Amino acid sequence: MSLHNLYQEFSSQIQFIKVYIREAHPVDGWWFGKGIMSTLLNLSRSKASRNLYDPKTLEERRGAAGDCEESLQFGIKTYVDEMDDLVNKAYAAWPTRLYLINIEGTVIYAGGLGPFGFKPGVLKQAIEKHITEEKIP
Amino acid sequence: MDTIHNRQEASSWQKRHNTLAPKVGDLAPDFTLSDIRGENPIRLSDFQGKKPVALIFGSFT
Repeated sequence: MSLHNLYQEFSSQIQFIKVYIREAHPVDGWWFGKGIMSTLLNLSRSKASRNLYDPKTLEERRGAAGDCEESLQFGIKTYVDEMDDLVNKAYAAWPTRLYLINIEGTVIYAGGLGPFGFKPGVLKQAIEKHITEEKIP
Repeated sequence: MDTIHNRQEASSWQKRHNTLAPKVGDLAPDFTLSDIRGENPIRLSDFQGKKPVALIFGSFT
């Protein structure tokens, strides 16, 4: 289950918000551009960038977020966390994470920390359960 | 938060913040963020009473 497919299937019932947060594996950080991780990314045909430096300004971050949105093409509009990383910290979101929130503003699915806890298929199950129970048309 | 350089720093950051992250049944922390052009701000709480929200956090690397 890809995020793109998830969005295509449920976007009329669920508001999808992609939040671009601090880079996970930039060139100037915990880089995956060489060695075994690079090989694994090649094998998985990952679209993740391997030549991006961690943005140092909000303008740079917006630029990277735009490149990400264009490359990955989930169809989900991207919003950009600010340089204080407040939203990232509030949700312990780094490097990737998924949440589902009901109309009361309560968390009804909190995914595990990425990458191993990042499971769009489990989010799909949570969405299906929620829209069935709440009879969301 | 500074750039994370290795697994140890990543683990330390995650342990520090994960305990405070919202769990099932918690109220989702509200936020307002703008899009990739710095425009069209969106506030999470604006969707209360209207539509469930799926939050997808990630980056490009």
